[in-house]
Amino acid sequence: MSGLLGQAVELARRIEATRASGLNAAVTGLDHQVLTEQVARLERGPADASLRGLAVAVKDNICTLEFPTTCASTMLEGYRSPYEATAVERLKKAGAFIACKTNLDEFAMGSSTEHSIFGRTRHPEEPDRVPGGSSGGSVALVAAGAVDAALGSETGGSVRQPAAFCGVVGVKPTYGRVSRYGLVAFGSSLDQIGVVARSIEMAGRALATISGRDPRDATCADRPPVVLEPTPPDLRGVTIGVPREYFPPDLDEGVRAVGEWGIARLRDAGAAVRQVSLPHTSLAIPAYYVIAPAEASSNLARFDGVRYGLRVEREGADVHAMYRATRGTGFGPEVRRRILLGTYVLSAGYYEAYYGRAVAARARIADDFRDVFERGVDLLYAPTTPTTAFRAGERIDDPVSMYRSDAFVCPANLAGLPAVSVPVGRARGLPVGAQFIAPKFAEARMLAVASVLERLVDREQELA
Amino acid sequence: MTDVTRAEIERMANLARLDIDDETLSGLVPQIRRILEFVSRLDAIDADGDRLEHPWLSERTILPLRRDEVRPPVLHGQLHDVAPAFREGFFVVPRLEAMDDE
Repeated sequence: MSGLLGQAVELARRIEATRASGLNAAVTGLDHQVLTEQVARLERGPADASLRGLAVAVKDNICTLEFPTTCASTMLEGYRSPYEATAVERLKKAGAFIACKTNLDEFAMGSSTEHSIFGRTRHPEEPDRVPGGSSGGSVALVAAGAVDAALGSETGGSVRQPAAFCGVVGVKPTYGRVSRYGLVAFGSSLDQIGVVARSIEMAGRALATISGRDPRDATCADRPPVVLEPTPPDLRGVTIGVPREYFPPDLDEGVRAVGEWGIARLRDAGAAVRQVSLPHTSLAIPAYYVIAPAEASSNLARFDGVRYGLRVEREGADVHAMYRATRGTGFGPEVRRRILLGTYVLSAGYYEAYYGRAVAARARIADDFRDVFERGVDLLYAPTTPTTAFRAGERIDDPVSMYRSDAFVCPANLAGLPAVSVPVGRARGLPVGAQFIAPKFAEARMLAVASVLERLVDREQELA
Repeated sequence: MTDVTRAEIERMANLARLDIDDETLSGLVPQIRRILEFVSRLDAIDADGDRLEHPWLSERTILPLRRDEVRPPVLHGQLHDVAPAFREGFFVVPRLEAMDDE
């Protein structure tokens, strides 16, 4: 057995083990045919390819040729895309194994990976808790050690939030840094493919591979791929802003303690840490829950039973009835809720009151970030989430409570900024993450600074 | 901002081409009302006079247009493999008759 074949067989075994354990993070296995085709591809490719032999899982809202792309929805059950995402194509060119597809909240709409036709993904350490979402499958699989890295997607924090819950690294690039070609559209002005790994170094390598200009996505920036920087010996000369709005009085005490412990380590490393204010932070979730559903209501109009995916056709019914039956059957409760909400906020008489104000709030949030970066702050540091991983079922009937778990992650999405969540320690036995938010296209510096913190902390240490 | 009614949600479902049964609709009305109440803190923002640019975009506010040339899509499969109904190069749909009622 060749080295690559042996690696692939072992990878398939690890994925099956997570399926057998009930983690429910991978929604496909790695069958014999796909496995041997990939081994053959790697054997034909250069031996020095940058990711040769590394196993990368892909969130199931990103198109792949090797596996179906379902978005965890009845609407796309069994659907095989006739093309693949640019990010996946680049991973393959760099010699990666595409390991499997991973579970998510249907069409990436959720914060807990509970809204899925495949059933919920378990938290890798405490099965009665959620892994976060919507990239919960990608994150849980990486945390379980089954793959080296995974692609996720962020619209409102869906990589960083689960990464913090599960104790791994999650990177959300600048809007436009990574091509969205082949990422099933949810909120097009917010969507961005992100990366999950157990270390900053691995996440950076994957990001460097998938980033860079792509003529197939008009919103992809005309820039070369990210060029990683070495980890600096210390943080002297680096100014880090800590936004006071991310340490509110009702912040979970464990999250506060771990977050503050991280600040002390940044100071130890020589960083100048100062408190700053992002005064419009509290408007981020309300603005997001107008803008994202508005864009989703438009994007998801394409699922109509005509060109691909589910069709529900009742005897004698006309095309209009077919649309309604297909969409009513194919979309789950959270997706339906967001389509209705989006249709409402865009409808005549409400557009200015909701959508117009949300867009204005978004501009203020972006201005807040711009102001602090213009005043000499290099990076912002803050808790990634207001709490640790919550219990399954706890928030599923209360959408607003669920949405609030993204309060600290979604501002960066609204402003189009890059951010990374790093595991810092534990509170009451559960992982706690902190994030760095950077100016646009400053991913290399952001990851270099984050890797200093990564080196100074023991993510397994109980701090609260 | 106003309190959303069941009739309005029904109208949205119709606009969005979504069949929703009565029981589901009854559950959705208070949920959407609650979400709209939550987002109403946006009332504090004065939208008038705000720049309608795109702060999340990278370096430009106008997206570039592609060159106006026909290029075949790079597809690794056939459309009829993914279409629910396909015949002689066309997607087949049910009759259009009832759309006249709209």
